[in-house]
Amino acid sequence: MFPIHKNIIAGTVGLLIALSTGSVLASKDRFVVDLVNEPSSLDPHVQWNPDSYAVYRNVFDNLITRNNKGEIVPQIATSWKQVSDSVVEFQIRTDVLFHDGQKLTAEDVAYSVRRITDPKFGSPQLGQFDKITKAEVTTGNTVRLTTNGAYPALLAQLVKLSIVPKAVVEAVGKDAFNLKPIGSGPYMFQTWQRGVQVTLVRNEKYWGTKGPFPTAVFRAVPDAATRVANLQAGASDLAVTLNSDLVAPLKNAPKAKVLAEPTERVAYVRLNTTKPPFDNEKIRQAVALAIDKAALVDGILGGFDKPVGQMLTKAHAGWTPDLPAIPFDLKKAQALVKEAGPAAKLEIEMATSPVFDQRIVQAIQQMLVDAGLNVKINMSDMASYLKRAQGGPEVVPALSFGRWSCACLDADGVLFPLLHKGSPWSAYRNPKADVQLEAARQTLDSKKRIDAYRSVNQMVNQDVPLVPLYQSAAIYGAARGLDWQPTPDESLFLNRMTYKD
Amino acid sequence: MKAQALTAVVQPRRRPLNLALWLPVTVIVLFVLAAIAAPLIAPYEPNAQNLLGRMKPPGTTSRAFHYWLGSDELGRDLLSRLIHGARVSLAVAFTAALLSGTVGVVLGMLAGYLRGWVEVLVMRVVDIFLSVPAILLAIITVAVLGPGLVNVIVVLALTRWPRYARVAYGQTLSIANTPYVRLATLMGAGPVRILFRHVLPNILGAVIVVATLEFGLMVLFEAGLSFLGLGVQPPTASWGSMLSTGRNYLGNAWWIATFPGLCLFTLVLAINLIGDALRDRYDPRLH
Amino acid sequence: MITLIFFVQRLTGDPTFLLVPETATQADIDALRNTLGLDRPLFVQYLSFLQQIASFDLGRSVVQNVPVSTIIASRLPYTLQLAAGALTVACGLGIPVGIVLALYRQSAAARMLAGLVFAAQSMPTFWSGIMLIMLFAVTLGWLPPSSVGGFENLIMPSVALGLLSMATFARITRTAILDELTRDYVRSARARGARTGRLLVRHLARNAAIPVITVAAIEISNLLAGAVIVETVFAWPGLGQVTVQSILSRDFMVVQGVVLMGAFVTIALNLLADILYSAVDPRIRLDGVRR
Repeated sequence: MFPIHKNIIAGTVGLLIALSTGSVLASKDRFVVDLVNEPSSLDPHVQWNPDSYAVYRNVFDNLITRNNKGEIVPQIATSWKQVSDSVVEFQIRTDVLFHDGQKLTAEDVAYSVRRITDPKFGSPQLGQFDKITKAEVTTGNTVRLTTNGAYPALLAQLVKLSIVPKAVVEAVGKDAFNLKPIGSGPYMFQTWQRGVQVTLVRNEKYWGTKGPFPTAVFRAVPDAATRVANLQAGASDLAVTLNSDLVAPLKNAPKAKVLAEPTERVAYVRLNTTKPPFDNEKIRQAVALAIDKAALVDGILGGFDKPVGQMLTKAHAGWTPDLPAIPFDLKKAQALVKEAGPAAKLEIEMATSPVFDQRIVQAIQQMLVDAGLNVKINMSDMASYLKRAQGGPEVVPALSFGRWSCACLDADGVLFPLLHKGSPWSAYRNPKADVQLEAARQTLDSKKRIDAYRSVNQMVNQDVPLVPLYQSAAIYGAARGLDWQPTPDESLFLNRMTYKD
Repeated sequence: MKAQALTAVVQPRRRPLNLALWLPVTVIVLFVLAAIAAPLIAPYEPNAQNLLGRMKPPGTTSRAFHYWLGSDELGRDLLSRLIHGARVSLAVAFTAALLSGTVGVVLGMLAGYLRGWVEVLVMRVVDIFLSVPAILLAIITVAVLGPGLVNVIVVLALTRWPRYARVAYGQTLSIANTPYVRLATLMGAGPVRILFRHVLPNILGAVIVVATLEFGLMVLFEAGLSFLGLGVQPPTASWGSMLSTGRNYLGNAWWIATFPGLCLFTLVLAINLIGDALRDRYDPRLH
Repeated sequence: MITLIFFVQRLTGDPTFLLVPETATQADIDALRNTLGLDRPLFVQYLSFLQQIASFDLGRSVVQNVPVSTIIASRLPYTLQLAAGALTVACGLGIPVGIVLALYRQSAAARMLAGLVFAAQSMPTFWSGIMLIMLFAVTLGWLPPSSVGGFENLIMPSVALGLLSMATFARITRTAILDELTRDYVRSARARGARTGRLLVRHLARNAAIPVITVAAIEISNLLAGAVIVETVFAWPGLGQVTVQSILSRDFMVVQGVVLMGAFVTIALNLLADILYSAVDPRIRLDGVRR
């Protein structure tokens, strides 16, 4: 019994010595990406989360995609034509093969659309595509999509639709397809060591730009400090979801560097306008005046992000140019709060969850306290937070901080859910705004849409149901040799990367 | 003859107090004093932010602040936060230990003395609580009750009371059969009196040993809860939450985590040393 | 207990909000809830759950769309590895230290050793974990910082987790050995001139093993529970991590499955400890053991 312990100790020491001469570097034969969580599933229609998306985007092609500048460009569809207000026709490529060697046909495209819009299938993404009522193949490689009325955001949403092989899915069923996905993308699924990593191999027969790495591995590393440590040690080549403070040691690291890019996410503070004290317009305006966006962006966020005056960025369709932003004016905010008297002394709950940047939440709380408001932070886990945030005006917290993205670069996906009375997120009741929002989503005339959204944005700045703060930047840590331009839609396309040792 | 005359508390044979015991005790007393006097001795408000003076090393000055131990990620003075944090960490640990101890000991004594269905019920409940992972219990409790200081104490108490119950139960079992307890019963003393006058003083030794070790664990668990996002609400400072946030800054601002870490470490170490010394004192086998 | 977990979980909300995109309308959310069967009355859900348990079906994860048993089966080996590693560290360091402390307890070196042992138990694992990573992986480059792989990946997580239990083993071993040292047979053996070392291996070890084994059983369940933080810091894909993630994403079936399994394991471990107990000490028989 006793001697055994000595042996274990000796063996361990010996191993340590042996290992110290070896290296744990990742080479470019094997590209390692550290995600926050492992994908929940690799079937592109079955879930909606960025970790799964990062992986399956490389296994499947979509109907159309965005280039690095954010413009919509062909992928599986070579061209498209707006036949009428509610009908669009797509020409499909003929040279695409799935990973099992079968040709990708227009029928696969139509099948994919029908699958994701089938209510019985239960896709969480249904809401993004449910305005498509019919998908059919007309001639050999033309697919015709019919929508319920004019749907200006159609193309923006189709950027997210992946094409699955009808024959395979029907043969093996949903569960088996989830475990062994077959797509037509630049990388093929090899193995999934559950909880550990997903391994992809390069598709040598890919019709488009081939991937640079023979193998790509996606691992789950929940702790941000560990993701940074992995980069520093050379054990990974790319890490996602870092912030400016975490990547500071990487700026001078021998093996790693920082990559950042503004995204379409806009950070905002939401107010519940239906309950005191924020039923008082002056107090809401005080909130908007009290927040120093420049201090947040430059002081805390390291200058990667950009302050904004509206909930949209320049890249969004429907953005209002030259909209005057509410300035930072602490004195005026304090005056407004004093003017409101006892109503402003109510304890205000600011709800948040660990997922959000707590530095920003605490800084905002302090800024509002400086203005004279009594704000207390209430942190709960994400599920509890979302339950309240989407529960309607009765339960929505007085204040909450969030970062909104619709992954569609269209004002309809941002302003409608946040403001329209029919949306579970909205704690704002303004019939004039509702009318404009509805009109903008039912016409294809871009000038009419811009005008409608302009009036909505002006109402937002006047009534302050939301305070748009800044355009959020996505910060990545990468190996020094990686040459990659991150995109505003935060997609990780392996075949748009190159690597130099 | 009164029952009181028969009350005999079994005294362990005392050993001369170890000098090495005084050091940990002094440390703890210092921490407690600092915690009580926090508003008087802390140089600045613990929550006062200074966005231009973020992450300044110890000894620097920025605007109105002179940071003896450096500033944290929002420019708040680390020293002030440490002193106020002592309050939170100590209060949480102490209250949780007291709560779980009281509940656990009472239930354990009842189970050990009354036997029968009380024993079965209490020990079953103890087993159930012990088989549910503490983290699970913690998260669910926070999800149901909401976050906050009071609820952290509740969570900690809920997860730890079974240990006291077990110890109290075992000890009560052995004491319950001793002659003087039986005699006291014969003399007509009610169960409550017996429990509190005769049983409790005798098992207190063992319970206190457990309590001191549990106190250290409470401090560590509070830190663990903060790590998981279930601890005290920001911006309140507790050593655990400071350590948990600070570990993200080890590369560029090591002081944010190191000082709370050292305080935590010293406190828990001191408690463990005292607990171990107490255990030695009360352990008859070492004499 | 399972009933308790079942209902309390559902009190805290449901996973639908976490599954849908932000732009989902109330209709979308309701539709998904319907598809997942989450809008059925609680009682109906409970009955169908009991039915499943009766047929050994642990249900499906709504987040990962695979059977719960798949998830548990894939994580179990890693949890066992980590537990074994941590136990090795805890016993491998703790028991020898305990023996030393028992035999040489008056010496200054022993007291310093005791101090070190306590020090190891006084740090939160998320801190000692990241310190280990920074030292051995980033600065020295000796070990991989995280995740699974070869044997070298297991070292740091085991150390981080095992250090906590090491003090407990040291203490128990010391007490047990001290216990034995006062027994008559030891004194008579010493009087006959037997050296301590020989005494140790032949007699003391066997007799002192009993309380150590009992404690080991308890420590294993402590280890499994405390592994959550270590698993998160080191990206070790064990059951603890999946439990926390499932609770946070309200993946009820997974949580229930893990808790059920945990309950079985605890019972099994206690049984095993009782059996070992009686095997090591022939004086104790199973039916005579009072708990």
